[in-house]
Amino acid sequence: MAIDGKISLPVVGPGDERERTYEHPLYKQLLSVPGLSLGVTSLDALLTWGLRNSLWVFPMATSCCGIELMAAAASRVDLDRMGTIVRATPRQADVMVVAGTITVKMAPRVKKLWDQMPEPKWAIAMGSCAISGDFYRDLYPVVPGIDTFLPVDVYIPGCPPNPEALMHGLLRLQEKVRLQRLGQFATPEPRPALLASTKPSIPRLNDPEREAETNEQQTADAMKTADSAVERPEATGSSAASEALSPAPALEGTTPPASWLESLFAAHGALAFPKDAPPLISADRHVALARALQERGYKQLVYIAASHWLAGRGRAGADASETEHFEVAFALRTVGRASQLASWSVRLEPGQSLPTLTEVFAGADWQEREQWDLLGVKFSGHPDLRRIMMPDDWEGHPLRKDYAADTHRAPWR
Amino acid sequence: MSGLVHGAVYGVLILAVVLTTSGLWIWGERKFAARLQTRLGPTIVGPFGLLQAVADVLKLLQKEDIIPAQADRALFNLAPVLAAFCALGVAAVIPFSPDVIASDLDVGVLYILGLGALTTIAIFLGGWASNNKFALLGGMRSVAQAISYEIPLVLAAMVPVILAGSLSVSDIVRWQVGHHMFALWPIVPGLPAFGIFFMAMLAESNRIPFDIPEAESELVGGITTEYTGIKFTLFYMAEYVHTLVGSAVAAALFLGGWDGPFAPGLHWMVAKTLVLFVSVYWIRWSLVRFRSDQLLTMCWRYLVPASVLLVLAAALWVQLFPEFL
Repeated sequence: MAIDGKISLPVVGPGDERERTYEHPLYKQLLSVPGLSLGVTSLDALLTWGLRNSLWVFPMATSCCGIELMAAAASRVDLDRMGTIVRATPRQADVMVVAGTITVKMAPRVKKLWDQMPEPKWAIAMGSCAISGDFYRDLYPVVPGIDTFLPVDVYIPGCPPNPEALMHGLLRLQEKVRLQRLGQFATPEPRPALLASTKPSIPRLNDPEREAETNEQQTADAMKTADSAVERPEATGSSAASEALSPAPALEGTTPPASWLESLFAAHGALAFPKDAPPLISADRHVALARALQERGYKQLVYIAASHWLAGRGRAGADASETEHFEVAFALRTVGRASQLASWSVRLEPGQSLPTLTEVFAGADWQEREQWDLLGVKFSGHPDLRRIMMPDDWEGHPLRKDYAADTHRAPWR
Repeated sequence: MSGLVHGAVYGVLILAVVLTTSGLWIWGERKFAARLQTRLGPTIVGPFGLLQAVADVLKLLQKEDIIPAQADRALFNLAPVLAAFCALGVAAVIPFSPDVIASDLDVGVLYILGLGALTTIAIFLGGWASNNKFALLGGMRSVAQAISYEIPLVLAAMVPVILAGSLSVSDIVRWQVGHHMFALWPIVPGLPAFGIFFMAMLAESNRIPFDIPEAESELVGGITTEYTGIKFTLFYMAEYVHTLVGSAVAAALFLGGWDGPFAPGLHWMVAKTLVLFVSVYWIRWSLVRFRSDQLLTMCWRYLVPASVLLVLAAALWVQLFPEFL
């Protein structure tokens, strides 16, 4: 504020003048009251002192940085020395300390909690994940730094920052509060060099400069990467192993299955019993198999896992004539001592759906939802086939081999 | 007329002292808790961190006052004021010495128990009006707890009332002067009654191990979840004042109030109150929280029958051995 009573208001926006003057009608009269300015500044100094010496923290702790946040409140560092305590409700907090990786699904929740905090409030980005996403930065579900959606006041680098660093950050925040209240602090102009360095190498989805064929190119690149990743086990595996695992000779053999379990699998469409992979069951009989196993004591569903194979790829022994397909693996175990494991898998063509297991095992509900969410495997008859990991409006299934690694969502990228 | 002036002067004095003590104890408790946890507590703000509570209050005064859109505005605003009023109102009938008392009510014990129970209404009001599930759960738990613990509290308070034959707090203290504390003689209804009263008082003021209405690990902030700034401060202060005043009531009813050798009565009363007050916080920072069902089980299966028996014992004592009182 200038001494002649002119307040300069920075106006942001194109076409506006950068400075405009405004004078309150009572300003001159108030200036003439003796001692008023002294009183006001003293009161303001007192209030500022209160404000910066009682910074209550809202712990937005999502991962390992949260442990350091807890340690900072414990006996060695003891944030309570400077009057900082942790409040569980955002309504009574002044500083939101975001400690940990924030995912795309978490970010709206963080924003909501931030909006619930009463003014004046500040935000601290604690640790490299909160600052920039760190090495999870290029992962499809990770927000590349919380300053994409929160006004961050203090950045505390580290992975994780130690408790002393957090205390240092809080001291810096105190200094910032003091300067802000004195009017000495201004938001720095965005530096063009900095903006250029944060621009991604591939234009983001919301970038108008992004070309349509970029998507196709990305998909092709991703497929190339997936291919090279799959080739590795084949190069190291011996030819004898692939011969032993090929399904055809086992079909020819008339030897009876070795155990009742294998005969059960054979009765449900299994053609081969490879040593290091579960037998393949036909899709229309796998519910009956699960029920039969459950009746024989396999009462616990351990996992449902799926993998996506592109054309020409598959489990060991697959050749170039292999088409694109999914393989969904199931495992059950008996409950009690000397637990037995039974596992099988089902081959699915793209677009083919698998009968749900939820009628047999209630626990299959979320696991099947996970496979649907991440790989797009459809389960027919599932009571509630919604996304479970990704946000409801997510496009695509991120663990598919043809999923472009860079298709990040617009608000965050 | 002089009685009115006397009451007004001492009322204001007692109010000021109670509020100052509670405010100072915000700092004191943080230091105390820190020492129990091998920490230092506030050290930076002011000498020995003494100004920490001042900074907290100044900060809370400046915070935005948020009322949730779906909240019941009138009740939401009323609840913290009512809580503070109920807690402070009890201080009016506590005799700190034969003279230092704001209002020597004939039915002082009744008044104390009534206002103490009203605090629960204030807490439930806050939980209900917030329109927040955590706040409502906290309020529900508070009501369940209060309904349970009101009964042993009242019955335990009846023991000195029956023995002294009066409902006036000053009369009860005056009766103990020169005789003995109720907690020590007759020891059979006296000491257990004091124990039950103290426990029920902990429950009434929502202190650990009875703080389930605001269990932070389960209910975010319990009834204060939606409260910001100065309204939260009122709730917070009401809790401290409630504990302090409850300690004073226990000291007056069971520990002989201003009675004691070598020192003026006021000193004795203050000392007894503060010892009880600090032990409340000692318990708070040493123990863990009860579950809701454990809390109710303990109350209904053990404390209520025990306190009924104690009232019976007190009545029998008055009838059978009036000369030993």
